[in-house]
Amino acid sequence: MTRPEQTFFDDPALDRLYGTVWALATEVFVLRDRVTVLEEALAEAGQIDLDALRAEPSPEDLAAHAADRRAFVDHLMTSLAGTQQSKGAPV
Amino acid sequence: MTPRFGQGDPGLSGRAFAAAQAFTLDAKLVWTRSLYPALHRKIEDGLSPGDGVAEIRSRMAGDVDYQVFAWLERHLQRFKYSGRYGLQAYHDAQRETLEAGLTDADLPEGLLSLDPDLEMPAYYTAVDIHQHPGGVWSDAIAGCVYERGARSTTPTMGVKHADLHTRLTDYVDGLLDGPPARLFDMACGFGKSTGPFVEAYREAEIVGMDLSEPCLRLAARTAHENQSRNVRYVQGDARESGLDPDSQDVVTSTMYLHEMPPSGVRAALAESYRVLKPGGRMVHLDFYHLPDPIARFIHYGHGRCNNEPFMEPLAEMDLTAELEALGFRDIRIEPFEEAPGALDPENDAWRFPWTVVAAEKPA
Repeated sequence: MTRPEQTFFDDPALDRLYGTVWALATEVFVLRDRVTVLEEALAEAGQIDLDALRAEPSPEDLAAHAADRRAFVDHLMTSLAGTQQSKGAPV
Repeated sequence: MTPRFGQGDPGLSGRAFAAAQAFTLDAKLVWTRSLYPALHRKIEDGLSPGDGVAEIRSRMAGDVDYQVFAWLERHLQRFKYSGRYGLQAYHDAQRETLEAGLTDADLPEGLLSLDPDLEMPAYYTAVDIHQHPGGVWSDAIAGCVYERGARSTTPTMGVKHADLHTRLTDYVDGLLDGPPARLFDMACGFGKSTGPFVEAYREAEIVGMDLSEPCLRLAARTAHENQSRNVRYVQGDARESGLDPDSQDVVTSTMYLHEMPPSGVRAALAESYRVLKPGGRMVHLDFYHLPDPIARFIHYGHGRCNNEPFMEPLAEMDLTAELEALGFRDIRIEPFEEAPGALDPENDAWRFPWTVVAAEKPA
């Protein structure tokens, strides 16, 4: 049984995009919930210091993770430029 | 592409399911308490004298606030029931255990009567109502899925089924001169509407009838666990119940009438009259009273978004005239307060238009 889904926006692509974003948001929350539970369990077992984990990082900490953070942002925002990443036929 | 979720998904734990459902419910609360009031104010500000549903619909079709509202109205329900963390997948992953729990092998005789030859009406099987995949009838575990989903049907109410249904029981009790000897609960589902009557009227003979075997199995199991001896659950079409004429002190239903086309509603009302004793009372709780075009527009939109194709036709019926034609008297069609403060003018949250449709069969 495959019937076309209802559309609400002028551009039906937006309906599908909203659905993908919502699924991702749900997965993010499930992941956050699991991380929270893990942190609490590890803290209770004396394996991690929750206060240290939650404290504002030092400039050195931020610098140590800067490359990864910038790659994440680049990956997220590359598509916004709307340019080809490999040479294709002229549009 | 038809994704398969449920059994075999290593990421579908009880924790993940609960987190995802809580996330969805919290989003529904924002929709209920924040998005809806803002949309209502916008529609109200743009209203012209004489505007009806058609005018509002035309004006809001291209309005992004309404588009977002309607998208969420449909898809929050879709995520609740379907997909990786939906009710269907989670219960599918526990299928074996759930099915084993629904056995009728140890039920007292007469508590559950099933009819394997019962033909499901076409209207009932044509649409998966309220976006429950497969409907509430086609899967052995459908009653379990429905029961879990019903805990959050009305997002601003508590999760206890009893709150709404206890209020209905109190309403019915207020109409009676004394406890009923016999009560018929039409389209009882998994028994959430029947339960408070079973508790309130221990000496009564109560019949709960429904089309859905999966729901009735759950209803009977619950009654057995509660040691209820005054109820029996029967699989059947409540429009042709087979109960004796002039036999019931009370005929009731909750959220039944809007699940059928008008012809079905007429049949249910006629059957109510047929089986009621002279002087007996009929009380149906459903969605009907819509005081203005905005309420009507929102309600009709909900019907379309939520796989409830008969919400609009029911609301368009003249139920007073229908009941008068059948011979009922003391007809009361009035808003029903499903929770404390629900009918307060200050309550601007989205809510179903809960309405009692009540009448008396002349003595």
